Amino acid sequence: MNNSEDRAQSPEHRTQSTEHRIKTEEHITQSHALIRCDGIWKIYNEGKPNEVRALSEVSLSVERGKFVAIHGPSGSGKTTFISIIGSLERPSRGTITIDGKNIAGFSDAALSSLRRRRIGFVFQDYNLIPGLCAWENVSVPLIPEGIAKKQRKERAAGLLKTFGLDGRAEHPPEEMSGGERQRVAIARALVNGPDILILDEPTSNIDKESVSGLTDILNSLKAEGRTIIVSTHQETLSGNADVVYELTKGRITGHKDYNGPNL
Amino acid sequence: MIHLNIFYAAAGNIARHNLKSMIVVLCLSAILVPFISALSISEGTKKQSMISVEQGADIYLTMDMYGRNGMIPAALSGEIEKIDGVTEAVPRVIGRIYVEGRLAVLLGLPEKRFASAAGFIDGPPPVRDGIVIGKGLAESLGLRTGSDLSIGVRIFAILEHVPYIQKKVYTVSGIFDAESSIWTSSLILMDIEEAIAMFEMEGFVSDIAVYVQPGHTQQVVESIQKMNSFFRVQTKGTAMTYMERGFNTKNGVFASLYTLAFAVAIPLVLMLSGFGLSERRKEVGILKATGWHTHEVLEMVFYENLVLSLIAASFSYVLSFIWVRLLNGAFISRIFIPGIESMSSFPVPAEFSGMQLFLSFFVSLVLTMSGSIYPAWRTAVIPPAEAVR
Ligand SMILES: Nc1ncnc2c1ncn2[C@@H]1O[C@H](COP(=O)(O)OP(=O)(O)OP(=O)(O)O)[C@@H](O)[C@H]1O
Ligand SMILES: [Mg+2]
Repeated sequence: MNNSEDRAQSPEHRTQSTEHRIKTEEHITQSHALIRCDGIWKIYNEGKPNEVRALSEVSLSVERGKFVAIHGPSGSGKTTFISIIGSLERPSRGTITIDGKNIAGFSDAALSSLRRRRIGFVFQDYNLIPGLCAWENVSVPLIPEGIAKKQRKERAAGLLKTFGLDGRAEHPPEEMSGGERQRVAIARALVNGPDILILDEPTSNIDKESVSGLTDILNSLKAEGRTIIVSTHQETLSGNADVVYELTKGRITGHKDYNGPNL
Repeated sequence: MIHLNIFYAAAGNIARHNLKSMIVVLCLSAILVPFISALSISEGTKKQSMISVEQGADIYLTMDMYGRNGMIPAALSGEIEKIDGVTEAVPRVIGRIYVEGRLAVLLGLPEKRFASAAGFIDGPPPVRDGIVIGKGLAESLGLRTGSDLSIGVRIFAILEHVPYIQKKVYTVSGIFDAESSIWTSSLILMDIEEAIAMFEMEGFVSDIAVYVQPGHTQQVVESIQKMNSFFRVQTKGTAMTYMERGFNTKNGVFASLYTLAFAVAIPLVLMLSGFGLSERRKEVGILKATGWHTHEVLEMVFYENLVLSLIAASFSYVLSFIWVRLLNGAFISRIFIPGIESMSSFPVPAEFSGMQLFLSFFVSLVLTMSGSIYPAWRTAVIPPAEAVR
């Protein structure tokens, strides 16, 4: 434990450029930051021979209602980072605040509540529950809300319909194409009405047509005022983003803000 | 509504993971069926034995023979009858005999006592050289009133390592029925004089059954003991106590054997409850990722176990019923009815009760819960990103 703290704070990791960038970002997004990450580290198997530093000193902030893309090659730490933002993973060090509250210190129950009310997460491989049909998968988050089956089905079917899946509501994910599964996963992420939608590499498993469909969906969700964070290793979605962060080997190495002053 | 929703989700999970559910139910049943069967047979046997004691005499009198129950002079019954509070003193001869290679119990009584000793008797009153046999025994040997039955009295000699049994042929003069299936399948009634002659115990009987006026037992026991200090007296109360104690010991032995089996079975069930754990782990991770609370996940797992236990308990109850009633408790009945292999077949007494069902349900719940709650909790509290990996 002490060991890692030493490492985290050793000067070699706090390079000039990172410090400079943090300061600049603070300056830019000070007032409307919905999500702020400060000095996030994620070290897997810490202290063991197979230790992996997936994230080193990552800092950024996301403004409400923006479309943010995290761009980086495979293994750069995108899934790790996006999971931390989505409160599905705890950082080894650093703070992550949502609406000014540091969720790194949240209890298990507080994190569940946060996920239930605020965050919709779409996994890279969707993680739908096999054996449950589309509408049942979509309505899983509503079960502990105490919503009756009829209403759950209505709500799920409504979402599936907006994503062009009206005919597929009764089919299990095993009988669906990758693109259809993805839309089911997005519907599930949205069913609780979260204001933050996070998608991990949404373009990696689908074809071009599906990508353009996805872009439309994300644009309309953004138009509804939702904050959208996607990770991607292609440029495809970056074009729609307000802000693009470059992630390389667990560090932020670049930052483009299409709505503000670029660095 | 939340609980109901989670309950339905749990029921859905059981159906969805039907293979796993089936294996868990089968494993639980493998543990529960012998458990329920044994309990029911034990209860049934105990009840029948109690009825026998209940319907028997108030006091049984024997004589001390080097610390064992020894024969008692037949003439004593007349003297006992003179004691204040005694309504009747009936001399009895009890012995083991062999019929068609099976063990049976021979009871020699004064003829006038047959009916009261054995309950309902069908057919004319027994004649000298005639015997009255239990309905169960008659059925299993295919005997009717008027049939002849050869009775092996005792081992006469052992020739070439084979016991040579002395036999005599009797005519079945009547058939009796009683509440106890063990009784009707193993008891043969005979006139006492004939029995005395058969067992060569001239002038003696096995015991004297003493019937007393209500509330006079203690007083009569004291009078008897004053007559002769070599008398051994057993009252209905002590018989009950011994019987109860005997059954409790048997149940105790069975329970401890069973606990041992449990100790072996528990890791197995634990393993099986963990069967498909990676799948389970992922699902729990997904639930947590979509905003379920840990306690909601655990509630769901609890309901799953509840339903599985209910299924397992009912299934086992039905199977036990089949085993005991249709298969007549094959293999298991000998634990509670000694010598049953060498007795003629009879319906094994069994008492099924809601208590057994409840107990089985409870045992299942404890087993499944101990196998699944902890792993589920462990999975639920790790970050969902890790659980779904
Ligand atoms: N549970 C884990 N234990 C150890 N190392 C891990 C674990 N998860 C991820 N890593 C490592 O952390 C680094 C970042 O992984 P991550 O999955 O975040 O990358 P990614 O950018 O999402 O890659 P991809 O584009 O292939 O999905 C990789 O080197 C990976 O091997
Ligand atoms: Mg990834």
